Amino acid sequence: MKPLSGIRIADFTVHNAGPFCTHLLSQLGAEVIKVESAMRPDAFRKPHPVYGRMGPATFDQVASNKLSVRINLKKPEGIALAKRLVAASDVAAESFRPGVVDRLGLGYDALKAVKADVVMLSVSSSGQNGPDSHFAGYAPLFGAWGGLSELTGFADGPPVEMRHVMDHTVGMNAAVAVVAALHRRRASGLGSYIDIAAREVASSLIGEALLMASAGEEIQRIGNAHPRMTPHGVYPCQGADRWLSIAVANDAEREALGALIGGEPNDDAIANWTSAREANAAAVTLQALGIAAHVSWTTPEIAADPHLRTRRAIVEVAEPDGKVRAAVGVPMRLSKGQGIGIERGTPQLGEHEDYVYGELLGLGQTERTALEQAEVIY
Amino acid sequence: MPSAPLFGLRVLVHANSVAAAYAARMLGVLGGAVTLIEPPQGSDLRREPPFLPGSETSALFAYLAAGMDSRVCDLTSTDGRAALGALLSECDIFFDDTPVVARAALGLDEAAISASHPHLIHVSVLPFGAEGPKAGWKGEEINVLHASGEGYLLPNGLTCELFPGRPPVKPYGHFTEMQGGIAAALGALSALWVRDEIGGQYVDISSQDAGLAVGAFAIQRLGDGSIEQRAERSFRYGGVVPCKDGFVELLTLEQRQWHGLVKLLGEPAWALDPAFDDSLERSRRGPEINRHIRAWAAVRMVEDIVREGQKLSVPLAKYYTPAEVLRDPHEQVRGLFQPITIDGAGPLDMLVSPFHIDGMPLALRGGPPALGAKVRTEATA
Repeated sequence: MKPLSGIRIADFTVHNAGPFCTHLLSQLGAEVIKVESAMRPDAFRKPHPVYGRMGPATFDQVASNKLSVRINLKKPEGIALAKRLVAASDVAAESFRPGVVDRLGLGYDALKAVKADVVMLSVSSSGQNGPDSHFAGYAPLFGAWGGLSELTGFADGPPVEMRHVMDHTVGMNAAVAVVAALHRRRASGLGSYIDIAAREVASSLIGEALLMASAGEEIQRIGNAHPRMTPHGVYPCQGADRWLSIAVANDAEREALGALIGGEPNDDAIANWTSAREANAAAVTLQALGIAAHVSWTTPEIAADPHLRTRRAIVEVAEPDGKVRAAVGVPMRLSKGQGIGIERGTPQLGEHEDYVYGELLGLGQTERTALEQAEVIY
Repeated sequence: MPSAPLFGLRVLVHANSVAAAYAARMLGVLGGAVTLIEPPQGSDLRREPPFLPGSETSALFAYLAAGMDSRVCDLTSTDGRAALGALLSECDIFFDDTPVVARAALGLDEAAISASHPHLIHVSVLPFGAEGPKAGWKGEEINVLHASGEGYLLPNGLTCELFPGRPPVKPYGHFTEMQGGIAAALGALSALWVRDEIGGQYVDISSQDAGLAVGAFAIQRLGDGSIEQRAERSFRYGGVVPCKDGFVELLTLEQRQWHGLVKLLGEPAWALDPAFDDSLERSRRGPEINRHIRAWAAVRMVEDIVREGQKLSVPLAKYYTPAEVLRDPHEQVRGLFQPITIDGAGPLDMLVSPFHIDGMPLALRGGPPALGAKVRTEATA
């Protein structure tokens, strides 16, 4: 069974971090109701030119599996409708800038008034309090503020910006916190207010470097080197832009590698050996010797990988036109959790209003029509 | 104040690598009581650099094991396996990163544990998971990073421009393994949610899967017909911007943010070109915009740019060093760090958690345990 079946989430999150959290929870069985409006549609419904996408996306990973309703949060009747949705939910998730939900009348106290044990999640760049809480930010900024990006890169180069993996790391952390809060609610009857700062998630990934800094020692950028393992790096293989990652953990592995390549296994000698080889074959050879190695895989290779497909880490989803495409599944296998993962693709705007407004909230057609005419359901 | 969310939860972890240990740490910070099962020589993590100055304590181990109890169980012995069995009968969740091939000899295989402990949430945490053609493959951080996609796609932007011929470069530390740990924590708590209905179960976590999950957009774009490449994944303008005394990160996605940036730049004639009101045109002419931004930033100080930019709601951030994160007034207000006493290294500030619950930061029970010792709760502030 899907473990989170029966949990309902009113999802007001936008961009990537918050939506990835609720996307994960939806794959685990939660019913996630995504709230948008024609005035303020999700980013995937619009062009994203800074990333080079000049039109709307046909599929959005983090919106898939969700139900979609329209609510215009700029109208008081829209706020009232949102509260009705929260009252019928277990979790309310949002990722507006700090202060916005309070101004809208959808802050934690307001939501507790309609659902006493609600678990509310707020995801923001810098958290709900502190001098920088008002700062605008996206994934690359989280990595910069959090210290992760400063430590990433070549020793003789600049820091390296993190991309959407940073957003999604925030989202996966948030999913853990939400399920933990649900456990407390079950045990105590208490709701929770969860405040997650994306920059602090970035910092949580460098905990040992922060501890070293507290002890007066600064870690520096070291590229692909490792503080213990050597050789350790990414080596060229046959073909253009083709690379093999190798990590040698101990003397026995170093000796085995030296015997394989016919000499001292330093970086240059390894590169000479790998350069003459097909990357995947070289990885298999090294693994057979007990040496950790894997090709630096391109996206098509990952999408086609039998291992990942066996694990359902890669799944196929159908688009509205019937076209089948690869998508990413939920990163776990549960012995009693058959069926977890993506069931539906990206919803159309307002696609599930008959269920949500009709069945769930009990709105009659007349009332719904009036709300549509008043641009509340809009 | 209400208790931490997972108060009363009992967790065992048998970990020699980062992912499983990080999963247990997350549940511990959220209120679970965590015991680290170690062999007589201690977990391999105790020997993993970096080491705290003047001590033999691994900073990585200290961070991962903070707040845990340590219990020595020699699983190669009958007594040790019996001791573990007794501990498992009293716990809710068990994280284990023993390679599959070695489990049966240590009494850690799925079948044996589920038979003896049917209510246990047994979480396997491995580089490539416990099932699938590569389940037996060895994988360190750099390998699972490259097996999950993000490895091939870093770096972007300025580093890629400066060093186009170099190999991809990894994020600092244990980025992908930590994703495995976060996924393991999520899997454990999700399985626990339905334990009363369906009993315990086996959760199979792969750091590769978790790394792929957070890199999902590359697969999404593949479906759109676009294969991501390092050099082409850069932001059309903005990104890492060199300044007089360091670097800032700049990313404007919204129209109002572009207008804020134009103001920040002093409304130069080039930026007032009406064509730039069109976001698609800005994307097409990104390199031209970047040249102007970089020339402007090169003679300015990071702090000035960030302060003035954020006033105008322009998303700008300084690239903080770890020491700057520690000193950051924002994080001091938020309580991101907690003083912890570590033997031989003294009192140090340790990051607790990125979670605030009910308006408060969470708290560590204490520092890292000595081998076989209970956590030193008296060490907490």
